[in-house]
Amino acid sequence: MLHDVLRKTLYDQRRSYPAWCAGVLLVVAMYVALWPSIRRQPSMQDFLDQMPEALRNLFAMSGADMSTPVGYIQIELLSFMGPLLVLLYAVAAGSSAVAGEEDRGTLDLLLGTPTPRTRIVVDKAIAMVVGTVGLCALLGVALVAEGALVDLDLPVGHVAAAMLHLALLGLVFGALALAVGAGTGRLALSRAVPVLLAVVGYVVNGLGGLVDWLRPLQKLSPFYQYAAHDPLRQGVSWVSVGVAVATVVVLVVVAAVAFDRRDVAS
Amino acid sequence: MGPPVVGCEGVTKRFGDTEALRGVDLDVLEGEVFGYLGPNGAGKTTTLRLLMGLTRCSTGRVEVLGLDAWRRRDEVHRRVGYVPGDVALYPRLSGRDHVDYLGNLRGLGRPSVATKLAERLDLDLRRPTRELSRGNRQKLALVLALMGQPELLVLDEPSSGLDPLVQREFHALLAEHSARGGTVLLSSHVLSEVQRVATRIAVLSAGRVVAVEELDALRAKSLHHVEAQLKGPVRVEQFEALPGVRDVRLEDGVLRCDAPQSALDPLLKLVARHQVVDLTCTEAELEETFLAYYAAAGGPDAA
Repeated sequence: MLHDVLRKTLYDQRRSYPAWCAGVLLVVAMYVALWPSIRRQPSMQDFLDQMPEALRNLFAMSGADMSTPVGYIQIELLSFMGPLLVLLYAVAAGSSAVAGEEDRGTLDLLLGTPTPRTRIVVDKAIAMVVGTVGLCALLGVALVAEGALVDLDLPVGHVAAAMLHLALLGLVFGALALAVGAGTGRLALSRAVPVLLAVVGYVVNGLGGLVDWLRPLQKLSPFYQYAAHDPLRQGVSWVSVGVAVATVVVLVVVAAVAFDRRDVAS
Repeated sequence: MGPPVVGCEGVTKRFGDTEALRGVDLDVLEGEVFGYLGPNGAGKTTTLRLLMGLTRCSTGRVEVLGLDAWRRRDEVHRRVGYVPGDVALYPRLSGRDHVDYLGNLRGLGRPSVATKLAERLDLDLRRPTRELSRGNRQKLALVLALMGQPELLVLDEPSSGLDPLVQREFHALLAEHSARGGTVLLSSHVLSEVQRVATRIAVLSAGRVVAVEELDALRAKSLHHVEAQLKGPVRVEQFEALPGVRDVRLEDGVLRCDAPQSALDPLLKLVARHQVVDLTCTEAELEETFLAYYAAAGGPDAA
C-alpha cells in the first residue's frame, strides 16, 4: 500500500475510514427506524406547514411532503445531516492533505524525495475524491437497503443522483480546504475558511428564495447546485454537476500551483 | 574538476522583516565532508532548506550538483539524501514502512541497504515510530537519507540525540560515504561534533559566512580558557608577551587567560616555570572563538 502518495494517503485512513462508514450507517439506520412512526403522524406535515417560511427554507427543502418516503429523506437526511457528515469528512481530508503534514513536520520527509509537489497535491486530491465518493455511495446503498426493510421505498436511480450531488458538494469544500492548506500551510485556516463558507452558502441558499437582495447570490452557493433542482425527484442536473466539477478542478489546480511556488515552513 | 557539489553565491533570505541570510557564499567540493558551523539562529537550517528546495532564496544563486536548487529540485532530490533538523516521522508507520514508502517514492523499491544500515545503527525497524526515542528517530532519519546511496548528504545537526557509541558508527558511515566519492554537508553548533569527520569548515554568524577554513587551521585558532593556580611571584607581562594570548588576569595567585590552540605550547612552558598548584584548560564555545578572531579583526560585523 505504500507505493505512492495516493495509496499511502488511503492507507493512512485504515482506522478512521471504518469509523466514518459506521457513522453513516448509524445515521441512516436512525432515520430509517423513525420512518414507520413518522408516516403514521400526519401532524408532522402540519407542523412543517406551520413553520415560518424562512425556517422551512433553511432547515427543510421547500415543498417536500414528510409523509412520502422521498419527502421524508429529503427533509430529514439530505437537507442537513447528510451534507454535514460528508462536508466534515471532505474538509478534514482536504486540510490534512498538505497543511496537516506541514503542521506535523512530515512534509520535509516527503519533499526530500523526487516526487514533484504538484503530484503530491493531485494524489492527495484523488484520495479525497475516492474517500468522499465511497462515503456517499455507502450512504446511498444504506438508504436503499435499510429503507427496504421498513417500506421506505426510494427510487434507486434518483438516490444515486442525489448521492452524486452530495459527493460533489463535499468535494467543493474539501477542495477549498486543500487549496487554502496547500497555499498557506496553515491547518486551522484551511479548516476555518471552508466551514465558514459552508455556513454562509447554506444560509444564502436557504434564504435566497425569500430575501430579494440574496437572490442573485443564491445560485453561487454550492448548496444551490446540490439541491435546488431536487435530485431525489428530478435526477441528475448536469449543469450543476458541471459547475461543481469545474470548481473542484480549478481549486485543485490552484492548490498545486500555489504549493509549487511557496516556501515550506520549518 | 566539475562544478562544486554545492554552490551558493550572494544568497540572501528574508522572512518578512527579518533577514536570515545576508549574502552567503559557499562552495562544497566533490568528496568533501564539509562542516557548517554556527550558533543556533545563525541561519544554518535556513541555508540547508534552500539547498533542498523547500524554500526559495530572496536573492542570489543556489545550486546543488550544478542544478538550480529551487527550479530543478526534483532532479536534485533524486541524488541527495537529507536529514532535517527537526525529524518528524509518521507516528503510526513503522521504520520498515518508512523505508518502503520513501524507497518507493525514490524509485528504489525495497532497498536492502536500509536493513544493513539499521543493523549497524542498532535500530529496530519493526516498531511504529511513535514508540521510538529521539535518538532512534534520528537513526531512522539517517537510514532514510543514506539508503538511496546519494551523491550528496545534507545533514542538519545529525548527531544530536545519538549516544557516543552510535555516533562513532555514524562517523564511520560518513567516512565510507566519502570514500566512495560521496559528498557530505553537515551542520552543527559545536565544533567537537564535526571535528572528527569534517575536512573543511565554514562558520556562519548572524546570516553571514565569516570564515571558511581547513579543519586544522580552525583547530589552531580554537580558543582555550586556561586557568592556573600558581605559587610564588608571577609577572603578568611575561604572559601578555606571548603571541596570541589575551585577557591575562591575575587574582589571588590564580592566573587566567585565553589562548588559541597554537599558543598553548609556549603558554604551558611558561606556566611550568612556576610552581603549579592546579591547572585547567577548556575549549571555548565556537562563537567565542570567532568573535575573538573575526569580529575583532575588523571582519564582518556580527549583529
